[in-house]
Amino acid sequence: MNPLIFTTILMTVLLGTMIVMMSSHWLMIWIGFEMNLLAIIPILMKKYNPRTMEASTKYFLTQATASMLLMMAIIINLMHSGQWTITKVFNPTASIIMTSALAMKLGLTPFHFWVPEVTQGISLTSGLILLTWQKLAPMSILYQISPSINLNILLTMAVLSILVGGWGGLNQTQLRKIMAYSSIAHMGWMTAVLVYNPTLTMLNMLIYIMMTLTMFMLFIHSSSTTMLSLSHTWNKTPLTTTLILITLLSMGGLPPLSGFMPKWMIIQELTKNSSIILPTLMAIMALLNLYFYMRLTYSTSLTMFPSTNNMKMKWQFETKRITLLPPLIVMSSLLLPLTPMLSILD
Amino acid sequence: MMTYIVFILSVIFVVSFVGFSSKPSPIYGGLVLIVSGGVGCGIIMNFGGSFLGLMVFLIYLGGMLVVFGYTTAMATEQYPEVWVSNTTVMGVFLLGLLMEVMLVLYVLKSEEVGVVFKFSGVGDWAIYDTGDSGVFSEEIMGVAALYSYGAWVVIVTGWSLFVGVLVILEVTRGD
Repeated sequence: MNPLIFTTILMTVLLGTMIVMMSSHWLMIWIGFEMNLLAIIPILMKKYNPRTMEASTKYFLTQATASMLLMMAIIINLMHSGQWTITKVFNPTASIIMTSALAMKLGLTPFHFWVPEVTQGISLTSGLILLTWQKLAPMSILYQISPSINLNILLTMAVLSILVGGWGGLNQTQLRKIMAYSSIAHMGWMTAVLVYNPTLTMLNMLIYIMMTLTMFMLFIHSSSTTMLSLSHTWNKTPLTTTLILITLLSMGGLPPLSGFMPKWMIIQELTKNSSIILPTLMAIMALLNLYFYMRLTYSTSLTMFPSTNNMKMKWQFETKRITLLPPLIVMSSLLLPLTPMLSILD
Repeated sequence: MMTYIVFILSVIFVVSFVGFSSKPSPIYGGLVLIVSGGVGCGIIMNFGGSFLGLMVFLIYLGGMLVVFGYTTAMATEQYPEVWVSNTTVMGVFLLGLLMEVMLVLYVLKSEEVGVVFKFSGVGDWAIYDTGDSGVFSEEIMGVAALYSYGAWVVIVTGWSLFVGVLVILEVTRGD
């Protein structure tokens, strides 16, 4: 793509999310979502093959439906409250419709079906933007309407998302689908605590974005999109096998790494609000996630996967430039000792 | 009948929307879009918005729909689908018509209708001129406000349209 056009379209994606995050008028928020959706379509379609076109079409259809539902919720809110300001949504019908619309945009169950298919059809860099940046805008709106969200619906969607994200990722060998199911599960964790303490949602979002960025950049660096291809990275850059190990275990939520911090805080916040069964279930279902992360680390870093001798050599493409990888790796594994600092948050 | 003109126009509006939502060929979709545009213009004008109604006819029907009609005519197939040609299309159209008829009967018969919001029968559709609109018409003031207080909206929507053109060109360019 022409670099000038590509820059313009990428900046419009950023502008769309920024408009969503800083507007105080519901109509501007809807315009921001539409601008975001419109501009990300050519980014998803960077290569012109049928898979990317199908993935872009699926993404467009689901997100456009979600925007329509959002608009209907906005108008019902307008009818009952008479104003367009972003506050909590007072009418229960509008609140439920808006929650469903934002859940469709995030990829929560039962609207999760597009996430693995769209992520699989696009290139690794586009998948990176899709799974990290595109989650910011809907989550910021959920944060702003969080006092009025119907707890039953949100918690049901969250728990089912964690279950589907864990269970669905078990049979996958394609790395992009694994990251997609990981995204569904993490969105479930984030929305579970939204009503109780929205700050932890933002914390979880921040750490999730760092870890997902790291994982995708490691995949881009080793040019691998399948588990088999990833298991040959010991041949190209042995150091990345250790980094993949650390980052994957951090995503699984294991203690000395920073991925444990959001899960710990979320479980603590939920138990403070006298719900015991829910965080127990969530923690148990996170084990499913951990299982397929560990399978990835097992095949990549801990063992040399059996293959024929001519497959052991990895094709050496020219080294792709990966931005900010060392800081990201450090941040996605070593942040746990900073947990007491969370007390300064609101 | 004139007191209920908005209600009648809105029924025709919904029926034409059902007409193109049942997905005949785009040419016929454009046909009912013309009808719905004209009827929508009538609805707006009944609320006092003559300028906006004119804009609908000029810009929407006379600009955008004309371009749509030309491009669809260039890309049309030999036997385009009408509402009666395909059983599925006809079934969906009749289903939409049936639901609209049931809704209209419900509104006409009962005193109060409360689906998502309450409105009391057909009487709510009649326009009451409460007066006190001042010297200037409200909607012209609204259009003027769009360019003064709402400058940010103009910038954002203008940029969206520009990027929309870039996106469409980029998507259809192919390799």
